[in-house]
Amino acid sequence: MMLARVADSLYWIGRYVERAEHMCRLSDVMLNATLDRTESAAQVARIALSAVGDADPAKIAAPYEAAYALTLDREDHGSIASSLASARENARQVRDQITTETWERLNLIYLRMTAPGAAKAFTDGSSAFLHDIIADLHLFKGAADATMSHGEGWGFLLLGVHLERAQLIGRLLEVCFRDARTRPINDHTLLTNVLRMSCALEPYLRRYTADVQPRKILEFLMFDEEFPRSIRFSTARIEEHLTGVSRYVEAASHGGPERLAGRLKARLQYADVENLTLDGAAGFLTTVLDECAAIHAAIYETFVAYSLEMRLPA
Amino acid sequence: MSTARISDDPEALAPEAATPIPYDEMLTAAGEVRSHYAALDSRVASLAGEELAERQRTLERFFLLQGITFTVYGGDSSTERIIPTDLLPRIIPADEWATIEAGLTQRLRALNMFLADIYGEQQILMDGVVPRELVLSAPSYRREMQNLYVPHHAYSNVCGSDLIRQPDGAFAVLEDNLRVPSGVSYMLANREASKRTFPGTFRSAGVRAVDRYPDLLLATLKSMAADWRPNPQVVVLTPGVYNSAYYEHAYLARLMGAPLVEGRDLVVHDNMVYMRTTTGLKRIDVIYRRVDDDFIDPLTFRRDSGLGVAGLFNAYRAGNVVICNAPGTGVADDKAVYAYVPEIIRYYLGEDAILPNIETYLCREPAQLSHVLANLDKLVVKAVGASGGYGMLIGPHASVAERATFAEAIKADPDNYIAQPTIQLSTAPCLIDGKIDPRHVDLRPFILSGEKIVVTPGALTRVALKKGSLVVNSSQGGGSKDTWVLSDDAEEIQP
Repeated sequence: MMLARVADSLYWIGRYVERAEHMCRLSDVMLNATLDRTESAAQVARIALSAVGDADPAKIAAPYEAAYALTLDREDHGSIASSLASARENARQVRDQITTETWERLNLIYLRMTAPGAAKAFTDGSSAFLHDIIADLHLFKGAADATMSHGEGWGFLLLGVHLERAQLIGRLLEVCFRDARTRPINDHTLLTNVLRMSCALEPYLRRYTADVQPRKILEFLMFDEEFPRSIRFSTARIEEHLTGVSRYVEAASHGGPERLAGRLKARLQYADVENLTLDGAAGFLTTVLDECAAIHAAIYETFVAYSLEMRLPA
Repeated sequence: MSTARISDDPEALAPEAATPIPYDEMLTAAGEVRSHYAALDSRVASLAGEELAERQRTLERFFLLQGITFTVYGGDSSTERIIPTDLLPRIIPADEWATIEAGLTQRLRALNMFLADIYGEQQILMDGVVPRELVLSAPSYRREMQNLYVPHHAYSNVCGSDLIRQPDGAFAVLEDNLRVPSGVSYMLANREASKRTFPGTFRSAGVRAVDRYPDLLLATLKSMAADWRPNPQVVVLTPGVYNSAYYEHAYLARLMGAPLVEGRDLVVHDNMVYMRTTTGLKRIDVIYRRVDDDFIDPLTFRRDSGLGVAGLFNAYRAGNVVICNAPGTGVADDKAVYAYVPEIIRYYLGEDAILPNIETYLCREPAQLSHVLANLDKLVVKAVGASGGYGMLIGPHASVAERATFAEAIKADPDNYIAQPTIQLSTAPCLIDGKIDPRHVDLRPFILSGEKIVVTPGALTRVALKKGSLVVNSSQGGGSKDTWVLSDDAEEIQP
């Protein structure tokens, strides 16, 4: 049992930190790739910026400026700085519910992002800057894992992380392979960078060797059971944590999100991977993204914004 | 009517001829280091300026990391600032603390009895010890509290009195804070910090621990409902994250293991108070509220309040929930009622006040009013209803024009003003720009009162960081420092 508002805040902390981490990676990969002025570098920029929902040609042509804004622009509610500020603001509102160790990590990242020297640090070495934020976010997750009770609050935090992760990876793959039939992607550099954006390059190489192919990328990032950024892995965690937090709710009211999560998990677990086509994958991804959105709404309705009439004591 | 300690004869109110030299916490008038400061003094002397500055930075970093900050909004950016915190602890020897503890216990016991009486039979008013209209017309008097049962007669469960040390070395009470006193998190955080900055000196000094405060607070709050609920659900009610004391609310909630709730988390149904949880509504028994009286219930108090919860007061009246501190405690820490506290102590306990008051002139009394007006250049005048250092005139530092303006305000509404001699706060050594320099300090200990009264052996020492300034409020450039209360059996300290 915990305050509904608190559960909501923990859930959003999870979503915001995951979003910030993903966007750091997109920015970093984009900046690195566009050091070469090649066609595939422009494609990397297009994919990265499309994945964050802003594929303005002017921005694709100026990847450094785009990355700078994506990282530090507080006016832009989708920027990394804004995401981290929102995560930290939510953490402040539930300061009594998270451990000091966890709070300190997040607070430190926030202070670094908003310090007067942040812009200069980014300019001096954008790669190091982004790398440090990712490393710090890993420390945050590690501190949370190691010091918080793995109970209800933890469950909501990780629900946020994995739901966000499934959606981010889903959107990235959708952007990459949506037009695969008309514009097939065979460029090795581009495909490698897509794996980098998902933090999946090394695990992929170990699994499939350097034979980088769109279909295998899809297979790995959608259906791998063990890779923590595959959609299948995330949906299994979503189902697991939803079962966990639903333990505390009377049986009558928690059918919604648990059922949806169970179905989504099964959809990925028992998908016909052998016969997966690029076309089929696009439709599949759309379904996954829709169901993630439905789970999000159902979580909100079940645990946070439920109607009082149903819950008043007799 | 008896106003024994407040003389009606203005001649008896002659102010001191000259401002006496303030008491220094570390040095005697002859410039010798007091024995209880010896260890700290020699430790500090052994450190180079750079080492002290390094420790000061460590301390500030600790506060920043913990998020013990307030936000300064300016333009399109906002920055986090810490409340200035001084490196050097203030030290209080055991025997002095014994007096403070006895005095505070006595005072709060009497004030709780006073509140029970005011909101009950009003015997003290009938006996003419405190003027009836002074109490009943005070804005902080809550008619709604009349004849309402408060367990143990503990109206002010958390009290944070402001003490000052006078030039003769004796402590006196400047203000009783019986409503929603804050600052206890600084007492606790300062302690955490000073254990890191002076571990050796701390260990050998025999400093009494303050870290039981949260569990004593929880026990106090639970004792307010223990009669009728075996395992009461306690919550902390905060106005929210934008309140300047939010850190403290979250801190106490975390250390007590009690949920930190906002008004929007609460629902009143059938005169019971519930919080919205993930699993439905959960009943609440005790609310440690950090929201002012005016804002706790828009149905009973201010209608425009969005911070409280509608129907809370009726649930309280029905005895289904306890609000701590009780609404209406402000009537006993009113600046005018303050003048009568020694009388109040004598009336209920038959004892003399252990801790004296600061001499206070009530402008509502014509003889005292004319004295105040004639001596504006020597007095500090305060509006009865205001706090936090606002609405006051510091006579000796004010211009002629300021005094004239204030005089008009006093004459227009004399009931609203009291005056006190310019008090001299004691000084304590502080680290200012890398050098040790004395600054004025006060002392805010915290007293808990439920089934019994407990004084935590420690306090928030507030510091006026500007040289010569007497204003210690954090809203006006004050800082704070740790306060070491030494235990009886402290061995001679080796540096």
